[in-house]
Parts: sequence; structure tokens; C-alpha cells
Amino acid sequence: MIAFFRRSAPWAAAATVAVLVAAACGGTSGGGGGGATTFKGTKKVGISVALTGQSQSYGQSIRNGLMLAADDINAKGGVNGYKIDLDVLDDGTDANRTADNVRQLILQDNVVALIGPVTTAQCQAASPLSKQNKVLLIAATCNAYQLTAQPQYVNPYYVSVVPNTFMEGAAAAQLAAKTGAKRVFIVSPKYLFGTSETNAFVAGLKKFAPGTQIVNDPATWYVPFVPTGITNWSPTINAIQSLKPDLVYSNVFAADQVNFIKAALQVDPKFFDKYPTETLASVDEFKTLGSSYPIGMRLYMRAPFFALTNSRMTDFVNRYRSKYGEYPSDWAVMDYDALQVWAQAAARAGSFDSDKVHSQIVGHSFQSLRGYSFTIRAADQQANVGETVGTTVDSGGKYPFPVLKDSTNLKGDDLIMPANIVEELRSGKCDFAKEAAGIAAFTTCPSWPK
Amino acid sequence: MDPGKLLLFTVGGLSTAAYLFIVSAGLSLVFGALRIINMAHGSLYMIAAFVTVAGAGAMGADLGFWAGMVAAVAVTGAVGALIEVTVLRRVYGQEHLVQLLGTFAITLIVAGAVRLVFGPGFRSMKPPALVNGSVSIAGYEYSIYSFFTIGVAVLIAAGIWLLLYRTPLGRNIRAAVSDPELLRASGVNVALLYTSVFVIGAALAGLGGVIVAPSQSVSPTMDTEVLVLAFAISVIGGLGSILGAVVGAVIVGEVISFGTVNPFLNQFALAFVFIVMAAVLTIRPWGLFGKPEQ
Repeated sequence: MIAFFRRSAPWAAAATVAVLVAAACGGTSGGGGGGATTFKGTKKVGISVALTGQSQSYGQSIRNGLMLAADDINAKGGVNGYKIDLDVLDDGTDANRTADNVRQLILQDNVVALIGPVTTAQCQAASPLSKQNKVLLIAATCNAYQLTAQPQYVNPYYVSVVPNTFMEGAAAAQLAAKTGAKRVFIVSPKYLFGTSETNAFVAGLKKFAPGTQIVNDPATWYVPFVPTGITNWSPTINAIQSLKPDLVYSNVFAADQVNFIKAALQVDPKFFDKYPTETLASVDEFKTLGSSYPIGMRLYMRAPFFALTNSRMTDFVNRYRSKYGEYPSDWAVMDYDALQVWAQAAARAGSFDSDKVHSQIVGHSFQSLRGYSFTIRAADQQANVGETVGTTVDSGGKYPFPVLKDSTNLKGDDLIMPANIVEELRSGKCDFAKEAAGIAAFTTCPSWPK
Repeated sequence: MDPGKLLLFTVGGLSTAAYLFIVSAGLSLVFGALRIINMAHGSLYMIAAFVTVAGAGAMGADLGFWAGMVAAVAVTGAVGALIEVTVLRRVYGQEHLVQLLGTFAITLIVAGAVRLVFGPGFRSMKPPALVNGSVSIAGYEYSIYSFFTIGVAVLIAAGIWLLLYRTPLGRNIRAAVSDPELLRASGVNVALLYTSVFVIGAALAGLGGVIVAPSQSVSPTMDTEVLVLAFAISVIGGLGSILGAVVGAVIVGEVISFGTVNPFLNQFALAFVFIVMAAVLTIRPWGLFGKPEQ
């Protein structure tokens, strides 16, 4: 557990900071009011996150983003007069450990809310416990649309502020269609996120680039998803070489993406020139590979700070760098937003009761670091957040990693699943079993255009 | 499948088979001579991989790899000697279950120690310049390092054969397999012989870890991943048979390689390996090239 203590700054400095904070907030800060903040007590917000294992780079960014959000919230007097303390447990990118951690967070540590773990597998483990114990779970990273639309997973206490797999699949398909590729090779992690996003991508291809051929058999699209990441990428690299696609579509991420890129460059330094690749990515993969991250990669990203410039983001980036000595990843940005959503809703509700806070989240709008406000709709408690697409280019020394050229920030409203499809999915009118056969469940809904 | 593709996937399978063989050969050698199923074999492989990556981090990929190779083999050999003297000598001749538990305890200790020393995350390194780069054959690119891996495995196989069949030590090892009591009666220090065999087996596990470090990521769970496959290979080929380790490793490596383009193999690649293992255990429990236990 990581506890956050108030700084032991001198009294005069604390008073000065408090006055400035009060001035900046226009005197509306909750709980503490003006002068040195006196809290009524502490409320814990819990997160089981991957600080080790396959997704450790994501988990560390998430923790950092949340810590900064908690600092900001507490500097403004906390929530309803209470200091917000983060309760962070490492799950090692292992869904079994997530379940144990979430049980501990809810039953022993008495957290008032949960922030979602990294992967969909972990959110699958966390969500039933959130539902059973009526503790709000705000997902900012895991994103299979099934988590909010498939009857067996639906949880009224689950809120998503991350573009889900339906939205990302559509964004990825639009990006692929722009390349004009006719022969696409697919590689994806074998679990709910991978199948969900890949099937949404394939459905999107049928809409945006109907003549496109998938060159590898659906049974070979997936690679195992293991807590420590795949060690041997040689078979996948050989498969790509043998099938000679115009475009490789990937949604492997974190350690897997890093190791895949390294292994491919070892086989052929021009691998990504010969086999143009489109993939889900984040600033974390950029930071890990630095200037070795290939140029010319078509990426779809959830919240890259360099493409979402606005004054709040600039301030966030500066403070993040000052505190952690590195640039914030997409996950830090989205998890910062997630904690702010909960804090604002709890403040509006004047309560930490999950039902009361929930009523202040669903149907309400929140300002995002991403430079726009998003609304969490009632149909599936999904935010209409956007996706950024573009092609990697050298940043010209501005950053120690590439950036996106001609990036486009696709709007959430243009990507989000139609509400009538959500309703049909939730009411069991669509065939989720088809997902295993490479067919997105939403395409089987009665209202989906055939 | 055109010949170019066939070669691509065959070489891919052989490069996987190469490091699996090196590790399996050590496991098999130890079982053949000592009748011990060493569950800590994967731990020695993992220690070596981490030592190599640490060496590369400290001295650069070039010097670090070669220095790491020497250091890793020396470290795993020394750890192997320590394990043999302190643990195995107390369980020789006992039931396999006792031996399994003894060596399994070592895997837990090593796993904790590796996390403590090297941290819980994964690491990686580049191949040394001498064997880095790629080569184009029949329109497909190959990593030079994959050929290096195959070459090392061939040398190891030849070295083990020479050791077993052309040296006094090898003659004693083979004699120990047949009748350790007779060997002891003829004046050979069997305890020292057993230690030597275990050190060689440990060093082979270490060499496997060194070889794999530049081509795959190094993580604290790589011990169990390799042990499962190495065990399957040894059972298929025959515990104690080096030729069996070669054949078993090639079968597993090629199934994994061709599985990425063959839907059937892809779905059942890992299951296929264990189905073969189960079939061999049923029909020929001592493995394809092993000998029945006396």
C-alpha cells in the first residue's frame, strides 16, 4: 500500500500555498476551506494494478497519474472534507491476484471506490466484486465493450472513461482503410480484450474497406497472453514474412509490443518498412524503446499528451515531469481523469455512498485533460472519449521518442456504439458466442446494418 | 508451401529447438546418470539469463554477452555443485517424490532470490555484434543469431557425445548408469563423479539461459516455462538419452514454428506436445530413445 502524507513544509509556505489554492479555486474548494487544510479524516480509493509483469510500465504510469490527481484533490481540500488516500496493490498482471487484491481493498481496507486495473482480464475479475459489494469501479484502461454490454458482465457500479474496444476497433479500421491496404495480417493477445478489439476491427474493415483480405486464418490471429509477456516472437515474425501482407494489424501492447518490435528489428532492421504495421500504442511503449521505436508506424492511441495540447494538459505534463522525471503516458492522463471524475461526483453528491456518487456520474459531463469534456451516458455508463490516430515521425529532438505526424483526434461521439445496439446487447438479443468464431457480437444484433 | 517458406519455418523451429535442446540435454544427462528429476533445472537457466543480461548492462552487449557467458556458466556450475552436495546427496536412492520435493524447494528459493536481486520485471539485451544482424535467403530475412543458436546447439550435442563416448569421464558416467556399485568397487570416486555430472547438467542449463537472453525477454517466470517444455522433450526422447533430447526438441520447436500459420497446430500446439508425451509414456514409458530403468 502506498500512503500519501502531507508535506512537512514550513507553516508559512503551507499558508501561502493554501491561500493561492483558495484563490485559484475561487473559494469553492470542498471541505477544507481557506487556510491550512484540516481534514475530517481519510477516505481510501483502491486500485489493484500491474506494477510488475507484462503490463508493469502501464501500471506504474497509472499509479503516478493517480498520485498526482490525489495530490491535486487534497490540495483543494480533499473530498467532502476528507483527505483522499490511494490504496495501491500490485497484481503482477495476473487476474487471480486482482481478485484477491480487490477483495482485500473492499473487505479489509474499506475503500470507498475502485479505479480499474490495466487489462480486461483483470477488470473481469474486479467487476463482479465491485457489483457484489456495491463499490464504484471506474475503468480508465481496461476496455472490452463486453464489460458494459454483455449481460453476464454488466455491473451498475462500473463506469468506463476509456474508449472501449468497439470505439477503438472502428478507429483502427478507419486508419487501416486510409492506408489502402488490401492484405492484412492480424496479431492479437488471446483473451477478451484481444478478441473483442480484433473482431471490432474486422467489422470496421468490412464497413470502411470492404475489399480487404485478412491473410492469416482466424485460428492463428491470437498469441497467448501471459502475466510476464511472450518471450519468443520468432514464429509470428516468420508468419508475417511468409504471408507478405500490405499491413500488419496488431493490438499487442506493453511488454509484448516492445519485445515484438525488438525481435522483428533483430530479424530485419527494415522489417517495419517492408511490413507496414498499425497498432494500439501508448507513450509507455515510446518511452521504453525511445528512438528505437520504428518510424512510419500507424498508431491509434488513447491519450497521447503531445497530440492533445491544451493549457491543462501542458500544466499536467510539466508537473508530472517535475515529480517523476519523465513524460506522462496515456494511462497517467486517463487515470488522472478517472480519479477526478469520482472526486467531483462525490463532492456533488456530498457523500461517498456509491449509489449517490453514481447518480452524479451517469448522465453528467466532466472536463478532461484531453482538452474536451466527456459525458457518461446511461445506456452503458461509457464516456464518449476520443481516440488519436497518426503515423510516427521523429520528434526532432523535442522528445526522447517519436511523435505522431498529422495526428487526428477522432471524436468520441463519432466512435461510440449506437445506444440501440447497446440496448440489444444488454437485453440478450445478440450472439456473443460468435466472438469465438471471429465475428463481433454487435454485428449479430437485429439493428446492426447488414 | 514453397521451399523458401518451408526453410523459413524449419529454421525458426530449429532455433527454438536449439535452446530447448541445450536445456533438455542437461536435464536428461542428470536423470540418466543420477536418476534425479531436477525441478531446479529451470532455475539455473533463469539465473544464467539474468547474469548475462546484467553483464550486458554493465559492459555493453558485446563484451557483456561473452563475459556473461563465462560468468553465467561458472555461476550455474557452482550453484549446481552446491545443490548436489547440500541437497541431492541426501536424497539419492529415495523415492522420486522426495527428490522432486527437494529440488522443487530450490526452485522456490531461487525464484525469490532472483526477484530480490534483479527485480520482478522483464529485461532484454541485444546480441553481440559478431552474431547480430540479418541475412536474406530465398526472399526471407533470418536473424544471424538464430543460426548462431543452432550452431551452438550442434556443438553442444557433439561435445556431449564426445564426452560420453570418447573420454574416461564419459566412460565412468555410462558405467555409473549401469552399475554404480560395481564402479565404486573398482575404485572410482562415485560421489565426485555425481557432482561432476550435476555440474555439467547445471552448466548446460546455464548455457541455455545465456543463449536465449539476446533473442527473448528475460523474466522471473522463465524458469517454469522452460522446465515444462524441457521435461516434455526429455520424456518424449527418453530421460537419459541425448539423442532423444535432440529429437524431442526438434519436434517441439517445429510444432511451435509451424503452428503460427497452421490453424490446427496453432490451436493444439502445446496440447499436441503433451499428447505426444502421453502417448510415448503409454506405449514406451522409457521414451523414444531411452532405456527401461533396471
